[in-house]
Amino acid sequence: MPTVTFDKVTVAVQQEDSPQPKVLLDEVNLRLDEPRVGVIGANGSGKSTLLRLVNGLVQPTTGTVAVDGDDTERAVRKVRRNVGFVFTDPLSQLVMPTGREDVELSLRRSVKNGAERRSRAEAALGRLGLLTLADQSIYELSGGERQLMALAAVLAIDPKVLVLDEPSTLLDLRNRELLRRTLAGLDQQIIMSTHDLDLALEMDRVLVIEQGRVAFDGAPADAVAAYRSWCMDGLNGINTATDTP
Amino acid sequence: MRGHGFLLANYVPGTSFLHRSPLALKFLLVVGCGLASFVIVDWGVSAAVLAVLGGLFLGAGAGGKRLWGAVRPLVPVLLVVGLFQAWQLGAPTGARIVLNILVCVVAASLLTATTPVQQLLDGVVRLARPFERFGADPERFALTIGIMLRSIPYIAGTFADVRDSARARGLERNPRALVLPVFITSVAYARQTGEALAARGLGEAED
Repeated sequence: MPTVTFDKVTVAVQQEDSPQPKVLLDEVNLRLDEPRVGVIGANGSGKSTLLRLVNGLVQPTTGTVAVDGDDTERAVRKVRRNVGFVFTDPLSQLVMPTGREDVELSLRRSVKNGAERRSRAEAALGRLGLLTLADQSIYELSGGERQLMALAAVLAIDPKVLVLDEPSTLLDLRNRELLRRTLAGLDQQIIMSTHDLDLALEMDRVLVIEQGRVAFDGAPADAVAAYRSWCMDGLNGINTATDTP
Repeated sequence: MRGHGFLLANYVPGTSFLHRSPLALKFLLVVGCGLASFVIVDWGVSAAVLAVLGGLFLGAGAGGKRLWGAVRPLVPVLLVVGLFQAWQLGAPTGARIVLNILVCVVAASLLTATTPVQQLLDGVVRLARPFERFGADPERFALTIGIMLRSIPYIAGTFADVRDSARARGLERNPRALVLPVFITSVAYARQTGEALAARGLGEAED
């Protein structure tokens, strides 16, 4: 398995209404070499920032992130060849009118020969059982089919690491299950943020991110229990409509 | 987001004469129709050209539904343009202008319906190759065309969604409630697309 390392990584952004930068991630140190790593946490806790660092979409303000020893800042092209990224909303990821065209687009950089590109795209779509949907407009596909199509486009270049940012958030139960089974069959190392705690329980290791820090790092069951407990603690003292007499 | 009207027809796999024709020939057909729209002065000729193109479209197996799908988004605009020109310059001129616009749209749809996008992009790369000596990256030209093809229906769909939500709030007559959200969504879409391309290493200079 590849190794993703975070060495004293801090990400901070300037704010318009304050001279103090907003810290999105604070002094994170990690070494991820398990096949399946889950990242859970509240909205705005820093999960997406953490994932985007792995692909070089976000650069650390201080510290370094490396994938198999390649610095995501200095060797960003190499890193992006090795790290595939799947976004929450496949519509913002699929940039071609049909799935087949999008998969072929992924291959344009690495495969110059058109016939070979078509054949490799066919193989990539076939692996995920998407050949019958390959020529449909992406707008005609269901959410789950679109997400699988986006996954096929990323897997076509055969990355070593697959990063997924809440891939099941927009999916119904059936499509979520479809995605879960597909991911379970992949050889790549997977680093995935999710609000689906059942999915998190299937990981080898789970990180809980809280206000830009790794608040818990360990076995999935323990991580999910800790996260649940913090969420419930956070609700104490908040009056909801059902509490009102 | 709902299904989207699209000004140009999506590729339809097939083995028709047009599918087998070289890309350059189809490209010349589009350019020729565009130029002809400036030259043709008789609405009858425009109608005949449109009928031939429509026949070619149907003959290629792309289907009447797809042809209507390519033309439908233009219908309100064509109605306004046609009526205005008929009022200003007479009915024959109004009809000619409308028919000539349709000729251009159907010709372009013929190209996109019978040519896979990747083949189109390869063609753009070949066309842009001479600019390489000036530092241009032909692949970026192709990527730009590809994104344009994808963005038109997205923005059209955004407009439809925003119009529906404005209607639900009783703001359908407020232009600001229509234009501003479409503008903001389009900018956000451009940013997301840029990020998605960057994540896949697309659009970067070749190693």
